[in-house]
Amino acid sequence: MTFLVRQIALKSNGEEIIRPSRVEGGELVIGRDASSGIHLPDLAVDPRHARVTEAAGGLLRIESIGDQPFDVDGRSTKGREIDPDVGAELGFGGHRITVSRDGESGLAVFTVRRVESVSESAEDVDLGTAYTLKGLLPGKRISAWGFAILMLVAFLAVPIWSYATYQPLAMHKDARRPAGIHGDTSWSSGHLSLSHKNLENDCQACHTKAFVAVTDNACLTCHTQDAHSHIPDKARLLRARGEPQGMAKFTQAVATAFNRPQGRCVGCHTEHEGAGAMPATRQQFCTDCHDGLRTRLPDTKIADAADFGTAHPQFRPAVIAGVGADGKPLLQRVAWTPSLKEANGLKFTHAQHLSKTNGVAQMVRRRAGRFAANDALGCQDCHKTEAGGARFKPVVMEEACESCHSLTFDQVGGTFRTLRHGQPEQVVAELRAFYRGGMPPRPASLSGLARRVPGDAALRATAADYARAVRFYPTRGDQAVAQVFSKGGMCYDCHTVTRGGSMATGGFTVQKVAQNGRYYHVGWFDHKDHRKTDCASCHVRAGTSNDASDLLVPGMDGPGGCRSCHVGESGSHLASVKVKDPVESGCAMCHAYHMDDGAPWKPADERKKGAMTTAVADRPRLPALMR
Amino acid sequence: MATIAPRRRTGASRERTSTHEGFLAHRNFRWLKLSAALAFLLIALYVFVPLPGTHFGSSWLGYTLGTVGALLILWLTMLGVRKRAITPGRWSLKAWTSAHVYLGLLLIVVGTLHSGFAFGWNVHTLAWGLMMLVIVSGMFGIWVYATLPRALSENRYDADGAITEKQMIEAMRSLDRQIHDAAQPLDPEGAALVNRSLEEDPFAGTFWNRLTGRYPRDATRHAASQLRQRRAYQPRVADDPVEKVDALLTRKEAMLARMRRHLRLKTWLQAWLYVHVPVTFALIAALSAHIVSVFFYW
Repeated sequence: MTFLVRQIALKSNGEEIIRPSRVEGGELVIGRDASSGIHLPDLAVDPRHARVTEAAGGLLRIESIGDQPFDVDGRSTKGREIDPDVGAELGFGGHRITVSRDGESGLAVFTVRRVESVSESAEDVDLGTAYTLKGLLPGKRISAWGFAILMLVAFLAVPIWSYATYQPLAMHKDARRPAGIHGDTSWSSGHLSLSHKNLENDCQACHTKAFVAVTDNACLTCHTQDAHSHIPDKARLLRARGEPQGMAKFTQAVATAFNRPQGRCVGCHTEHEGAGAMPATRQQFCTDCHDGLRTRLPDTKIADAADFGTAHPQFRPAVIAGVGADGKPLLQRVAWTPSLKEANGLKFTHAQHLSKTNGVAQMVRRRAGRFAANDALGCQDCHKTEAGGARFKPVVMEEACESCHSLTFDQVGGTFRTLRHGQPEQVVAELRAFYRGGMPPRPASLSGLARRVPGDAALRATAADYARAVRFYPTRGDQAVAQVFSKGGMCYDCHTVTRGGSMATGGFTVQKVAQNGRYYHVGWFDHKDHRKTDCASCHVRAGTSNDASDLLVPGMDGPGGCRSCHVGESGSHLASVKVKDPVESGCAMCHAYHMDDGAPWKPADERKKGAMTTAVADRPRLPALMR
Repeated sequence: MATIAPRRRTGASRERTSTHEGFLAHRNFRWLKLSAALAFLLIALYVFVPLPGTHFGSSWLGYTLGTVGALLILWLTMLGVRKRAITPGRWSLKAWTSAHVYLGLLLIVVGTLHSGFAFGWNVHTLAWGLMMLVIVSGMFGIWVYATLPRALSENRYDADGAITEKQMIEAMRSLDRQIHDAAQPLDPEGAALVNRSLEEDPFAGTFWNRLTGRYPRDATRHAASQLRQRRAYQPRVADDPVEKVDALLTRKEAMLARMRRHLRLKTWLQAWLYVHVPVTFALIAALSAHIVSVFFYW
């Protein structure tokens, strides 16, 4: 039998070269081996892969010699009979063999063609991209678009949608956004302060309209009661500030151009600056007007003030000028001087009481455990703080003084009778009653049974003394009254007593006493914040003053004055004076803008320690008695 | 920068110096000096200029820095347009690139001072973070541009001089043809092993393979090792076709290793741009949202 084999090779220009050959013999071997009838130089083909033999009916039988299959018309097989008249396509590795019958000779023809290149590297390679990352990473263009659209949707479209869908409801006072996605919270530049914490999800509580800066109305929707004006006359406020100059003028012009009005609540009360109490207002907001105020408002009664360290007017404490008929103190604001006196009506010797060496100290030592210290009296033995700790309660005689300055005048059994403090009429009545009733105690020697000195002389003398005592007994009451109100008497020790009172007070008048709870009404002073400091480091003269009318409240300068530590906002005071442990103190440390009696904002370092509670709960709201 | 061409290993060693000046050193670091001066100025402004309110985007300095930063970002992005038009002169592409690099670094100062160091989980910090990501990827890009081209050149030079990317493919094809021919006498198992090496695409591999230069399931190495293993148990004969195939496979392995080093270096040179460019556009989108949000809730 004869087979026709046509090997087709390709020229480089794509033209086909046909190499025909005849193979004689009973079988035709297809394989990689060079001796094969159909030699396929293909590593995917076995050396002897398949054989072709003649089968009955002019058919050809093709079967694998080894285990390797081959393809017939695209199907893998190990043996198949093929009709050359019908034709078939055999696949061996990268070669295709078309089986047909030659028209002229009637022989079976095997047309061999290489359809796959020798190796993968021989395939066409696009040099422009082969060495790049194309196909390995998402394209730069597609990912740029993808990321950009993602950003715009998530942080622009969704927030605006949140705004728009809620807008119709937002203007109601108690409106709260329902739970859900609030895309515009991603626009929040920082947490709201503690007091506005519950508005964090509700941007439109303040940002009521798009592209309109937060208005005062938004604040006043809730703050109906607690937002005070600094001064009622807004025009005056603007005049106090003066026309902005230079940079300020420029920034104001820019702000106006961008629809951002001046003088709104939020100008000072900045938000989104982190959870915590609202930050203290910076000094500049005050000094914009108050520095050189007199030049812009000539009729003002307020002195110019700038930095506390360098340009603050002298303190003007409200001191007691006298006590009114109704017992209320008459307060008068006067400029602080070291020798300032206060008419509180008391006599008291701070120095004597605080001494560590005199009789007072000795009394304390004898009564160990009764006082705060065991060697001498301390301030806190008499001065007790108020509940909030900001100021001190008035000294109460019964608690502070009476343990030493006893008002006892009689003993009945084990009970001591005391005079009533603060009620001179009762004192007089008490004394008169004591001396009115009965006789003086009868001497024991006048009774018949008692043992006595022999003879009558002693008895007579005793009887005469007793008779005289009985004779004069009622006048002892008036004497006692005079004694108690006069020099050396119980009352006179501490109180200013004058002659010329009514009969009910034995002709004496005890001057009314007033204690000053708060000296500085415009500024805020909190003793609690100064607890770590010894009292005497501010009240320096307490250890030397022996006159109760001495004003022991410190002023701005001098020993114990506030500037001993407080150096102004940026420590400007330090430039001229050496201060140990300086404390930076802006206006807002002591002053409040919305003037009430409450505490001003706490400085930054104090805010961490739960300033909210001190600022709100512990605010003593004392009536200001000044005029 | 590669100012000296790599020495050719042709025996004749001639030091060749170049007057090439890279974009980093352009005009004696003009843009570096300018950016550094601006950075110091801005930091000084931030520290020393008294502002009403806290340091925040909403002070006059904050708005100024923000505006400058946004315009700077847009201008920096324009390098993508500018680089496609190469022109010489004062505003040569090199000058532009130099300015791009140093003003881009200046943007760290501008953007961060604009933030006033107030960071949070919001669109504003997102824009800052994307900006920093772009800048850091750019810094990485400069680092690879400054260091890898030398390695790239060295990898391409051998005893016969430099080899181009096209020549790498040609060499691979040539080796494959020789392997194909030499492997003809092999038994089916051996032929199958060799064929797998031939059928392996030299450019195959994931991004990770390219980045690391590690191809754990490499068919050429597998074929070579398997053939050697098989040969170890067979008697030595003269003209063993396996020996020739082995030698060719070894050469192919070396060629493939060099090509993959080349691919790895090129991947490092290109990969940063796949962060730098898309994130830039994400940044511009986030920046737009940032600006709109500020004025929306004014």
